[in-house]
Amino acid sequence: MPLEHSWVFPLANGLHARPASHLEEVARTFACTITFCNDRNGRTANAKSVLGLVGTETRHGDSCRLVLDGADEAAAWTRLTAFLRDTFATCDEPLVIETPAAGGVTLPRSLLAAGLTRYHPGRPACRGIGAGRSLVLGAFALPPELLAARPTTPAEELQAVARAVEALQTELAQAQRGAALTEAAVLKAHLGLLRDPGLAGQIAERIGAGQTAAQAVAAAIEAQAEILRGAESAYLRERVLDLTDVGMQLLEKLCGALPALRVPPLEGPTVLIAESLTPGQFLALDRRQLRALVLAHSGQTSHTVILARSFNIPTLTGVANATTLVGAGAEVIVDANLGILIAEQTPAVRTWYAREQAKVTELTGRLQAGLGRPGATADGRKLEIAANISSAAEAEAAFAQGADGIGLFRTELLFMDRTTPPTEEEQFGLYAQAVRAAQGRPVIIRTLDVGGDKPVPFLKFPPEKNPFLGYRGVRFYGEQAPLVKTQLRALLRAAALGALKIMVPMVAEVEEVRLVKRLLGEARAELAAAGQSCGELAGFGVMLEVPAAVWQMAELAAEVDFFSVGTNDLAQYFFAADRENPKLAGLGGTLHPAFVRLLRQLVDSAQTHGRWIGLCGEMAGEPLAWPLLVGLGFDEISLAAPHIAAAKAAVAKLAVADCVELEKRVGQCATRAEVVQLLGAFRNQPQPMLAPELVVLDVDCQSKPEAIRALVDVLHLAGRTDRPEQLEEEIWRREETYSTGFGGGLAVPHCKSSCLTANTIAVLKSRRGVEWGALDGEPVQVAILLAIRADDHGKEHLKVLARLSRLVMRDEFRERLLGETDPAALTAFINEALQPS
Amino acid sequence: MKIVAVTACPTGIAHTYMAAEKLEKTAKSLGHQIKVETQGAMGIENELSASEIKEADGVIFAVDIEVEQRERFAGKKVVQVPVQLAIKDPKSVLAKLG
Repeated sequence: MPLEHSWVFPLANGLHARPASHLEEVARTFACTITFCNDRNGRTANAKSVLGLVGTETRHGDSCRLVLDGADEAAAWTRLTAFLRDTFATCDEPLVIETPAAGGVTLPRSLLAAGLTRYHPGRPACRGIGAGRSLVLGAFALPPELLAARPTTPAEELQAVARAVEALQTELAQAQRGAALTEAAVLKAHLGLLRDPGLAGQIAERIGAGQTAAQAVAAAIEAQAEILRGAESAYLRERVLDLTDVGMQLLEKLCGALPALRVPPLEGPTVLIAESLTPGQFLALDRRQLRALVLAHSGQTSHTVILARSFNIPTLTGVANATTLVGAGAEVIVDANLGILIAEQTPAVRTWYAREQAKVTELTGRLQAGLGRPGATADGRKLEIAANISSAAEAEAAFAQGADGIGLFRTELLFMDRTTPPTEEEQFGLYAQAVRAAQGRPVIIRTLDVGGDKPVPFLKFPPEKNPFLGYRGVRFYGEQAPLVKTQLRALLRAAALGALKIMVPMVAEVEEVRLVKRLLGEARAELAAAGQSCGELAGFGVMLEVPAAVWQMAELAAEVDFFSVGTNDLAQYFFAADRENPKLAGLGGTLHPAFVRLLRQLVDSAQTHGRWIGLCGEMAGEPLAWPLLVGLGFDEISLAAPHIAAAKAAVAKLAVADCVELEKRVGQCATRAEVVQLLGAFRNQPQPMLAPELVVLDVDCQSKPEAIRALVDVLHLAGRTDRPEQLEEEIWRREETYSTGFGGGLAVPHCKSSCLTANTIAVLKSRRGVEWGALDGEPVQVAILLAIRADDHGKEHLKVLARLSRLVMRDEFRERLLGETDPAALTAFINEALQPS
Repeated sequence: MKIVAVTACPTGIAHTYMAAEKLEKTAKSLGHQIKVETQGAMGIENELSASEIKEADGVIFAVDIEVEQRERFAGKKVVQVPVQLAIKDPKSVLAKLG
């Protein structure tokens, strides 16, 4: 009796190779036939065939069914439904697709003025700028000697294919283990294609019809590619590259190295130009020398482009006739910010790009420097900014994004969605992976927190009326001692590899902590008895999420090394308000003054007893709360990895005294709305319009376009705009009405702009006078840029500019402006002069 | 001489006030009384009253755009110049009042 499961397709990018390979991976572990049916278009496919699945052209929101038929259909049904519910929906992250600016390429006037004439537009697929000698790669074709070859016997040809497939499988699987995340995902998709029964069938059919193994592989790949090329979705069409890639690698296994398939070694900085490039070809390139990539055909979501992004190689796609535009070995520049390939350059264009590169280097250098430094406030108070993760594989990415540690590794995902608990060995492998990725930085691993709302199939807990107040977390550790000890043994072993800390969830009484310590002692003894070495824990702590723990801090502190506040649960228990209930969203919450007072008490208690205290709930990811958490005096906050850079940058601008003052005022608020308003006002503290970093004296610029570009760069570097091209254009639009050079060697370029983070005055003094089309025809020595946010409808800043405009008319002010050589002194002088009299 | 003036430039951020400053300084140095209304991004400031306009011996518009509430000046002899001229050569602008 066949079984069926119906569901709505959840992934935004449709069923492409990556999710298809996830589904195939689960499906092929069962013997029964598993048919995927798309009820929107009526297409069906074998769920064990990635190509078949991809060919159903399933889109987000389609009604789909899986039909299972065979001896193990019941087990398959259970596994697949759980997989589709818990894992599949999140197995494909949405792709960031960069869309080209509307209306084609708008080039900065300064670049045009530098003499840019010959360039070719394309779509930026990975932003950045790269320059080097061009290397033009032709398209691939099966060499004539292979096309003309005669087959041996079909059996022998089939065997040759089988051997080649096996060899390639081993190779891909090995490469996958050593690969970074994105690369591994691509290799996995390739492995899926290689195992595909649809493809294998086509190859066998052709060999049966009298073709050689190589001819059959080439033809079968081409036939499948043809199907994909005809697909409606651009995403499916771009899978052709993956398929050709697998085909090429198979052919190499069959026939030895094919020179036409190989990418040549790169000698010196190189810009690679190709009609298209397979992921395999990309991975074979020496990425230290690869400065940029220009592709005629590849789309925004091809695996090659995804790889280029993960290695941050500036990439342009959709450059028509790319391979015929540039001679081999020519010096080219790829500007994947503006979206152009520059084939010929004047010295001035090269200088323009040299400056642009220097700016980019400085900007990225600063960001990276900030990431590399441990989290701290402007005045040097340390605040660890750590990551929350749910799987070992996330650790590497978290550290790459600047995490100072792992503040919460939720281990429950390892236990859910399976029929037997993970073994000690399996757990050890995963904890070890996270600890190794940390390279000595702390990793806090939370012991199993299931039960209640997080059911686990192999733990047969009876259903509860009120699971959040039920049998969960540490509460079942006594009854499930073997399960808990297995985890503790794995953790103790991994502790030998780095700074691993253990954290216990849902502690309400001190006896619970003592129980875990006893289990920990037993686990240690068991390891010793088995001759296994185990490491010293870098810490043993508890989650603060049950309000009762708040009034047992002294007793808990006697048992543990550290605390970490789980704000989600603590807030819902504190206000007796279910956080999942939207009707209660307005009640309580972590920004309620009562909760802030609770946190105050927790931090004070922890500090009184000399214990470290962190915070790992959602509150840590709320930008409004960052100054408040600094003011409260936490040692650490732990949040989702993608927000770490922002948190580090924001915290680095805070002064402890301001945050302490803020926290005091927040504690005196009566309502959450008042707290939110206070925090909002604190965050939007206006930046000064003029600061020394906005004053550049002694600039070497030859022309008005260069001077304006230099001013724009000053704002870009100071973080006052992230769209320098637009700002430059807006300044020029004002200059078109008439020159802002008003005589006496001064100019006041100005604009209202939507691409400013703050109202800004910037000052540039040129080493030599610059022709500005000024009223008196004289060159300009000093340009003062006045830039106002388009959305600023207040008058305060306009008043400042009006005052400044009057000041520059006065001789004594002008003389000081022309004579001053120190940015800080000039800033102080102007700011003082701008004070209302 | 009693002079009233209006300054206004396209963005209303800089030149409106530069011209106002120049006209005020120059007029005073020549011994005239002057009041300058600015019509900038902040709207009308230092607004001229009906009696000030009535009593004025001369009116200057140093503007690149339409003057707001121009009807206030009906019947008056107005010297209109581009903003830039008031900045570059305010003396010549004042001389036009005769």
